[in-house]
Amino acid sequence: MKPAARLVVTLVAALALLPGVVAVILHMPSFGDHALPYGDAINRLAPVERHVTNMVTAVNFDYRGFDTLGEEYMLLAAVTGALVLLRGRRGENVSDAPAKADGRSIAPRSPAVMLICRFFAPVLLLFGVYVVLHAQLTPGGGFQGGVIIGSGALLLYLGESYRTWRRFMRSLIFDMIEATGALIFVLAGFGPMMAGAKFLENTLPLGQSRALISGGLILVTNAGTALAVAGGFVLLLLEFLEETRALDAGDKS
Amino acid sequence: MTALLVLAFLLAAATGTGVVLTRHPRRQVVALAINGLALALLFMALQAPDVAYSELAVGTAALPLMFLGLLVSIATDRPEK
Repeated sequence: MKPAARLVVTLVAALALLPGVVAVILHMPSFGDHALPYGDAINRLAPVERHVTNMVTAVNFDYRGFDTLGEEYMLLAAVTGALVLLRGRRGENVSDAPAKADGRSIAPRSPAVMLICRFFAPVLLLFGVYVVLHAQLTPGGGFQGGVIIGSGALLLYLGESYRTWRRFMRSLIFDMIEATGALIFVLAGFGPMMAGAKFLENTLPLGQSRALISGGLILVTNAGTALAVAGGFVLLLLEFLEETRALDAGDKS
Repeated sequence: MTALLVLAFLLAAATGTGVVLTRHPRRQVVALAINGLALALLFMALQAPDVAYSELAVGTAALPLMFLGLLVSIATDRPEK
């Protein structure tokens, strides 16, 4: 198709869609207005029913926990798919040893980068754990904390060399961490059923509001999510960075 | 709408336009990360700290990294001129 014809088609399509766009814009609620009663109901009920102070966590890991279960398995499927694709292309059983690529060496890190990463990586990992543990109290939770922990692992890679990083980032360990997280979430769903309650029903003791251990089943589902997200993120990092196949300074390039 | 919100919205729009106008893939990744940071600030100003966390972790760290890894992987076969 010629550029001119393409432009004509684009303009016709835009003109056809314009009335719909205008109608939607005219009927939008005003800024900051929330017409639905659900948010207010959660704000009113969750602190009393679940002893939590972060309503987002109450919705994610309890009231709509079933949706989060689906999301977690979507993540598991996505990570598994990426791993199968990348590892499958390289061949099975080669993922344990970092690959070599001639002529692909990268510049060695400067001492400043190493120093900054060695300082900030543990701090970031600690902060990730903090975000995970305070899911029911302050903003954050398993998803965010898991990704922050994964970012800490990335800083470790930046600070150390690829080969050193691969020595303590074992694929099998993170396979197990991710699978354990997914399993914990499912068990948190079926556990209450063993006791005669409904799937994912919050039957655990709720504890004192504003305490680190509070919210009952939310603690379990949140921990499962954190493990699955952190494990999955590190696995993706492992496979993606293996694609870059950076050599160490001492290696023959 | 406060001045802070207006500023955050404008920043998000400006950095988003920057992503579109950047043509070099590697620079575009950096532009994308900056846009993620602007969006995180916007969500923070809109009192949605949970979403801001997610945007910060995924939009400015995870996603750009995946793109960078991908660009390096592509460069295996076709070295950049």
